Amino acid sequence: MAVTDTIRRTAAVATKDPAPDKPPNKFRQALPQYAAVSPFFILFAIFGAFPVFFSIYLSFHSWDGIGPMKWVGLEQYSYLLTDPQFWKAITNTLIIWVISTVPMLLLALVIANSLHNATRFRSFYRIAYFIPNITSVVAVTMVFGSIFSNNFGLLNAFLQSIGLDKIEWLSQPWGIKVAIASIVAWRWTGYNAIIFLAGLQAISSDIYEAAKVDGASPRQTFWRITVPLLRPVILFTAVTSTIGGLQIFTESQVLFGSSGAIGGPGDGGLTIVSYLYDNAFGSNQFGYGAAIGWALFILIVLFSIINWRLIGGNDDERLTKRAARRANARIAEQAARRQAGDAETEERKELTDAR
Amino acid sequence: MPVERIRTVVGHVVLMFGVAVSIFPFYWMLVMASNTTPDIFTYPPKLLVGSHLFENMGNVLDNIDFFGAMLITLAASVGVTVLVLFFDSLAAFAFAKYEFPGRNLLFGLLLATFMIPSQLALVPQFVTLAEFGWIGSLKALIIPGAANAFGIFWMRQYAKGAIPDELISAAKVDGAGFFRQYLTVGLPVLRPGLAFLGIFTFINVWNDYLWPLIVMTDPNRLTLQVALQQLNGVYGTDYSMVMAGALMSVIPLIGVFIIGGRHFIADIAAGAMKF
Amino acid sequence: MTVTRRKFLALGAGSAAVAAGLSGCGSRSSLGASDELSMWCWTGSVNDDLIAQAEKGIAGTSKKLSMTRIGGDYKTKVLTSLAGKSLVPDIIGINDDVATYFPNADQFHDLNELGADKLKGDFLEWKWKLGITPDNKMMAFPMDTGPTALFYRRDIFEKAGLPTEPADVAAAAPDWESYIEVGKKAKQAVPGSAITDNITSVFLYALAQLPQRFMTPDGKYLADGDHIRKAWDLAVRVVKEGLSANAQDGSTDANAVVTNGRLVAFVGAVWWAQLGPKNAAPKTKGLWRVTPAPGGAGNRGGSFLAITKYCKDPEAAFAFISWLESSKNQAQSFLDPVLFPSTPASYTDSRLAAPDPFFGGQQIVDVFADSAKKYPGAYFSPYDTIIGDALKAELVNIEIGSKTSDQAWRDAQHQIDRELTRAGAI
Repeated sequence: MAVTDTIRRTAAVATKDPAPDKPPNKFRQALPQYAAVSPFFILFAIFGAFPVFFSIYLSFHSWDGIGPMKWVGLEQYSYLLTDPQFWKAITNTLIIWVISTVPMLLLALVIANSLHNATRFRSFYRIAYFIPNITSVVAVTMVFGSIFSNNFGLLNAFLQSIGLDKIEWLSQPWGIKVAIASIVAWRWTGYNAIIFLAGLQAISSDIYEAAKVDGASPRQTFWRITVPLLRPVILFTAVTSTIGGLQIFTESQVLFGSSGAIGGPGDGGLTIVSYLYDNAFGSNQFGYGAAIGWALFILIVLFSIINWRLIGGNDDERLTKRAARRANARIAEQAARRQAGDAETEERKELTDAR
Repeated sequence: MPVERIRTVVGHVVLMFGVAVSIFPFYWMLVMASNTTPDIFTYPPKLLVGSHLFENMGNVLDNIDFFGAMLITLAASVGVTVLVLFFDSLAAFAFAKYEFPGRNLLFGLLLATFMIPSQLALVPQFVTLAEFGWIGSLKALIIPGAANAFGIFWMRQYAKGAIPDELISAAKVDGAGFFRQYLTVGLPVLRPGLAFLGIFTFINVWNDYLWPLIVMTDPNRLTLQVALQQLNGVYGTDYSMVMAGALMSVIPLIGVFIIGGRHFIADIAAGAMKF
Repeated sequence: MTVTRRKFLALGAGSAAVAAGLSGCGSRSSLGASDELSMWCWTGSVNDDLIAQAEKGIAGTSKKLSMTRIGGDYKTKVLTSLAGKSLVPDIIGINDDVATYFPNADQFHDLNELGADKLKGDFLEWKWKLGITPDNKMMAFPMDTGPTALFYRRDIFEKAGLPTEPADVAAAAPDWESYIEVGKKAKQAVPGSAITDNITSVFLYALAQLPQRFMTPDGKYLADGDHIRKAWDLAVRVVKEGLSANAQDGSTDANAVVTNGRLVAFVGAVWWAQLGPKNAAPKTKGLWRVTPAPGGAGNRGGSFLAITKYCKDPEAAFAFISWLESSKNQAQSFLDPVLFPSTPASYTDSRLAAPDPFFGGQQIVDVFADSAKKYPGAYFSPYDTIIGDALKAELVNIEIGSKTSDQAWRDAQHQIDRELTRAGAI
């Protein structure tokens, strides 16, 4: 429907050459451009904007998606804000986010640093570190579920073999969070390391030379030069991890979805999105599900702002800031150069790496 | 220098340990998929690859329509990828290289949509598709995702630096219209960027879970991820078979990635740098 | 990966064509081809041979059956498909929470209009009544029932010096109290032994023996009453004695404790025979026995079939379900996968008396028939799922040690109060 129209329109517009001698009408002249950008806006209007507005309307109703809708005013929101499960979902999500993101980013920095210094096997490493990221969460969760299992888990077998008591990971709220956080960290550490590596490679070696001349230790160099210069890259990874972290769902659904309680024992793995899914589709509370969606939206906006404040701004050292800006420009420039078709040089470099 | 040398060796040891952690879950998946369920469920567990792999894989094929699910996943992934590449690059080309009234406003609007989490409107999206009668069909997986703000934003950043204005002017002088300029000037230059966006989109759709879980209501037409979860739900008592299914589901993408992933990784990293 | 322009254009044109084809108007019909009746049920809820027959053709009609087994979050899938309004199956299985579907009874055909009332006399009266809505529509047709009994591992009981023969075990554990003592002995002899997979099973099976559940038919709330609290306290006791395997429902662990032998005894419904030991521990064939449960007769589960309003051919669908649930075929479903008939005529079917080698050649039907006969019956309200889920969730909190029993009880009552108020039930 909408999509095909757009295609047809785009095609029609494209074949018609604008007559050059007529007085130019700015809007008419720009028709092809409007047509070119319209598919996104049309699709967004139907599947994005309309549902967003519709969800405001829905959230004032009680509706199971099957029978008639009933107007309930702000009841869904007041239920939401007074629901202990909702607050538990928020705390869980934040805890999982922190215990996955912090170790993950630190580890990624270490790995990126080692990768940066390593000259051999670099492309092997990169592929090995990236593979977890392209592996489906469903399959990964099943494997981790059996590693953490209470009764036949590898982890417990290990604990028992060294004489310790086994831990019922998947029955304890904190154990569940550890399991979910490890899945997240396992999938994303390598990805973030690769991103950091690209950032490291964009830092000019002159800076390091200068530091060496000044007699800085490797540790000082790392914390005083590398980390500040990487700040924009760290911001990027922090923002993406935050958005991803707030939307964790698959892990708890695969681990506990068929148990009737999507959060698992004690709701230890109940995240905001799984709370949304469970209420909306598990018990067909469509109006309530719409209200939860808005809560999630507010949280994401809030955390994006906090991220920018923490890592992006709030800097007393002007020098570092300027250096960061310069590094950023360099990074962008280098990336663009590489993107623009420097693939061959890249390949040659890879070959030397491998040798 | 010995100190340097030691540092290098230590670096490789650290990296190799990381590689082992990355690879281990796959090994463990193989161990479980190649043993029998009673062997898995006992203590101490079997640590080595067993001899029941093909038997378990055969059971997967007997119990679910594995290749059917794979075909649906492939159709959705290819469908979305092709549409995204076309719509996103076309829009990005217009945004990056042309002045037109309202351009900045429209682009700002596009950026604003970034802030909206996809789950915000999950319920009304479902209701909308239900009204269209699309629930359960491939359309529900393909059409809503056929153009996205991320791709347009990314391609625009890319196109800005990569497409020289002179080429467009030259094409204009030759009497080429906008669409022809896109085809002859834009596309060839954007090709590496398209490759990145294509793989990125493909992987995302292939691995997507929440959306297909909700909209693919016909149990005989599930995506691979949902079918896998379903296998676990229905045949959970035969866990080694479930693990064989998990293994079979991750092989295709990893295979493709090992063959073609090197450039993609460089592209992903460069992509992140564009923010 | 390289994308040449020609390839890209060809793909673009192709996908445009695909998009054009896809955006045709959606269908409102039910799931499956026009000569098929689609059916959803969970695993272990039907006899595979009967289904295979119907998949070739439903006798007396021009339709074939197309059956799909759905696992785990079955109800979510059913409700989502009803809300999705397309590709809804013709026939769906409904569990013992059939009353929770009553508010949406208009989504289903009134089976009385299709001739169900003529068959009423063939079925257990209490079972038949459960499928009838307050305004006298017959929404769901009886499948099996779920009489309960005690399953136990004879080999482990022998090792522990406990009685081994069914009659002796029943005599040694007439009530839950003595059952706990039996469990303790088994645990002493074989460390790690458990007599329940988790805390909620004890609660639900104790509840399944009572003549009252969570509400009265006229809507009075009962779930804060003594009968519920007694079942609750019993479940807590079993856990405190260390006799639960702490393997929560639906988890892989719940299967694992059957497979690896930790679960040495279990008060379960008849269908558990298949879903539990027969599926999860085929190697324990011959080691299990069944005997009357401590605490008396009970019923948990047992399903229904309903025909959705999307159905292509309600008459054919009804012909199928009345055939599938005839006393002759229900008798066959008892043999495999151990579903207990809701048609009394089946009980005299000689096939039911066949010894079951999985249970060491025991005639298990006697135990379940006795339980079914003595079961008092209890009222299921449309809110039983809400109430039951809240109680279960808080019981789990006790088992994992994050709340005391009293605290969990208070929180459960508070949560139920909130949810019932929102649902307009109280």
